[in-house]
Amino acid sequence: MEVEKELVTPGEVLGLGSDFKAGKGAYFSPDTKTIYASLTGFRSIIPPPIDATDQRPTVEVSGHKAHGAVPEPGSIVIARVTKVMARMASADIMCVGSKSVREKFTGIIRQQDVRATEIDKVEMHASFRPGDIVRALVLSLGDARAYYLSTAKNELGVVSAESAAGGEMVPISWTEMQCPLTGQVEQRKVAKVGA
Amino acid sequence: MAGKRGATPATYSPSLTTAKGKKKPPIFTDDANWVRSDGRHFHQCRPAFLRIATVNSASGSAYAEFGNTKVIVSVFGPRESKKAMMYSDVGRLNCNVSYTTFATPSRGQGSDNKDFSSMLHKALEGAIILESFPKTTVDVFALVLESGGSDLPVIISCASLALADAGIMLYDLVAAVSVSCLGKNLVIDPISEEEVYQEGSFMISCMPSRNEVTQLTVTGEWSTPKISEAMDLCLDACSKLGNIMRSCLKEPLSAPEE
Repeated sequence: MEVEKELVTPGEVLGLGSDFKAGKGAYFSPDTKTIYASLTGFRSIIPPPIDATDQRPTVEVSGHKAHGAVPEPGSIVIARVTKVMARMASADIMCVGSKSVREKFTGIIRQQDVRATEIDKVEMHASFRPGDIVRALVLSLGDARAYYLSTAKNELGVVSAESAAGGEMVPISWTEMQCPLTGQVEQRKVAKVGA
Repeated sequence: MAGKRGATPATYSPSLTTAKGKKKPPIFTDDANWVRSDGRHFHQCRPAFLRIATVNSASGSAYAEFGNTKVIVSVFGPRESKKAMMYSDVGRLNCNVSYTTFATPSRGQGSDNKDFSSMLHKALEGAIILESFPKTTVDVFALVLESGGSDLPVIISCASLALADAGIMLYDLVAAVSVSCLGKNLVIDPISEEEVYQEGSFMISCMPSRNEVTQLTVTGEWSTPKISEAMDLCLDACSKLGNIMRSCLKEPLSAPEE
């Protein structure tokens, strides 16, 4: 990647649409056929992949202070379960990808999105408890209230849970976790961590 | 205790009787060699002082000082829209303009200014790439610390700097300038005293590098040649203000390298 020491601010011309493609922090205006910066930062040019049909390099703005992370469909989030109801569980999103969010975002895991198989037999109370930390996929922007989340994958589900006795629970199967202090077994939709 | 002494006001406020009783000072006469009270030419703006990242708790913020007009703008978010709001695919902008109690010479209530809030919203909305933060809201809070005339243009320019500081994707910065019509003369960037005597006001907010206007307000009686003269004046001033705003944004990034 070629980083130029040229500082740009929103609205500054980065190049012509015929010479470059607009990358992060840049946008293409069809009216003027010009690429402008949309953020403050350094102008950098990324050469195109050798096998790409479009041989225009990408121009983008790097090294800027981006706004806080916002959940988008397809992103993996870390959320804390706040409420478990018969048909859905609500959770507060804490991280999007590897970035923590600056503001609170609410997500909902519906009954049919908990696991991939036997989706009509899911017991919400046997899948999550309030306070659990879950890894989930953002399905869609959802409704006016919350984002729709899904844990219907092996690597998605509860990654950390605390038992009634206050111990950090250890996963013992796909559906069960055990408290190391009391030996009590609780049911969860367990995520396959690592590997 | 002293609670029953009805004559004593609860808080100190300077008496305004002397100021109000005075006859209107002849700040404006129709002759051509009238000078503005701060010694500026008719087509000369006040010196601008701009700073970004002045509020720690906000995502982005900016402070602007144009003569006596002092404004601070904080930007929060993008954050979750209020529950009562309808679902929307694109982001939302929420603007609020308020005055401090000590902003005007007569001690006020420090109330919100609804007109300015909606005008600020209209001026900024067109410059923000709302698609970049779907379903969420960006809050812009402007606080006028001292009102010294041309408040709204200063708020708009300052708010666009704060948005850029917050890392909100923008099509371009927004620079705003106003012109007052005083008799035969057009004065740019009027101070409060001049705004009192104005026959008409003209404000333009534009995106300097895109050459697009986001908002235009005209009040009072204007002739067509006057309007076009005012527009030329404002657009020229906007592009110059835009350059000042750009150098202000670049300042913190370029400083540590040298």
